[in-house]
Parts: sequence; C-alpha cells; structure tokens
Amino acid sequence: MTPLQLYQLAALALLALGLFGLVWRRSLVGMLISVELMLNGAGLSIVAAGQLTAADNALAQLATLLVMGLAAAEATLVLAIVLVVVKRFGHGESQDIFELRG
Amino acid sequence: MNQTLAAQLLFALYALVILAGGLAAVLARNLVRAMVGLVMTLFGVAGLYLLLNTPFMAFMQILIYVGAVVVLIFFAIMLTRSPAGGEEAKPRAGRQALLAGLAGLAPAAVLGAALLANPLASATRPAEVELKLLGAHLLTSYVLAFELISVVLFIAMAGAVLLGFTRRKGQ
Repeated sequence: MTPLQLYQLAALALLALGLFGLVWRRSLVGMLISVELMLNGAGLSIVAAGQLTAADNALAQLATLLVMGLAAAEATLVLAIVLVVVKRFGHGESQDIFELRG
Repeated sequence: MNQTLAAQLLFALYALVILAGGLAAVLARNLVRAMVGLVMTLFGVAGLYLLLNTPFMAFMQILIYVGAVVVLIFFAIMLTRSPAGGEEAKPRAGRQALLAGLAGLAPAAVLGAALLANPLASATRPAEVELKLLGAHLLTSYVLAFELISVVLFIAMAGAVLLGFTRRKGQ
C-alpha cells in the first residue's frame, strides 16, 4: 500500500466515524462534534493529496485552511442555533424538534 | 532505512490516537467526554500533518480547532445544561446501531474500494512549502477565496449575534 492510500484511509475512517455519529447521536451538540470529525477528515485528505502527488502543494494547504475557516464559522452558527433551540424547547435534543409549524 | 521505519511507527501511533479519540467522540454517553475524544482526534490529525511535512497546517489545526472550535463546543455543552440522564444515556435498539453503522460504513466502503482499486503514484518524502510562498499565494492568486472566507466569517458572527439577541418587549 502506498503512503497516499494510507493517509486517505485514515481520512476515510474519520468520515465513517463522523457519519455514524451524525446518525447515532441524539443531542445537537453531539451531532456538531460528529460534523467536526468529518471536516477534519476532509482537511487531512486534501493535504495528503497535495503533498504526496504532483499536485500543487500550496493550493492544497490553502484549501485546507479555508475548510478550517468554514468549520469555525459553522461552529459559531450552530452554537447560536443550539442556544435558540434550548431557549424555546428547554433542552438540546433532536427528538422533539422535527416538527415545522407555519 | 531508519527514517522510513520511524515514519511508519509514528503513522501507526497517530492513526491509533485518531481511531480511539474518534470512537470516544462518537460513542461516549457524557458529552464532555465526547469532546475530550474530539480533542484527542484533533491532536492525532495534527501529528499526521507534521508527518506530511506541513508544520504550518499542524499549528493551524491546534490553534483553530483545539483553541477555538472546541472552546465553542464546550460553551454549547455548558449552556445547554445537558442532563446526565437525558436522551443520550438511554439504551437504544440494536436495529438502530445496525442502521447507523450501515450509514457510516456504506459511503466509506465505496470510496475505500475505489481508492484501493486505483493506486496512484505516491511520493515517499513530501516537500515542505515555504510560509512566505503560502502568504504570497493568499494575496495574489487566491485573493478572492481569502476575501470570501472573511465575509463568511463576518456573516456567521453577525448571524450568531442576531440569533442570540433577545428583543425587549414592546419594541
């Protein structure tokens, strides 16, 4: 197995763990933790592809920096949304908040 | 070769740290323990970045993820006052575990099969990119993406303030 494949398998493990957690978790914060796992796998995959193939190394690192920035923005917004949900429902669990009311 | 062996050993160690931390992050009943598992995974990925000869990414990983995102998650856990015996701690049906495992494994299995079937030529010793070059790229070729991410961060911040803002009655 080549080094590139090993790094991509590690990133795939992060993706699988994140997807599993997203389905398994019942609280919004637990789901946020799973999403962060997946985003980390994406970053690792991009950097490994850039460093170990003939692709542009600088481009891969900058792309991963953008992924990190997006993850930070996403975490900020999810924190605010969780706070609004807790204010309205009294807890942050996903079982009771699937209903839309217009 | 000695260096190759050391790299392989370190890769195995970091992969183990990532797997153990990820399992804790996904399966722990207590959300604070799940967060500690996430921190462990983040440090493992930072170690892999160091192995890939990208020290700048490793530092950014620790600075942004462990320094900022995990603190935000900790705020979310503390502010929602998740009860210890809440939904998260209740036992689940085995069917649910099966379906969740399937949801996680199916995409990874397809991608993994594609990855193993098409081995690409891989460098054994990745080259390091100078930090000066990264900065120059950020301000010349990729300046649009740089500006856009700052706009995204600003909008996320403004949206968070707006959502957390409680309007006084009568206004």
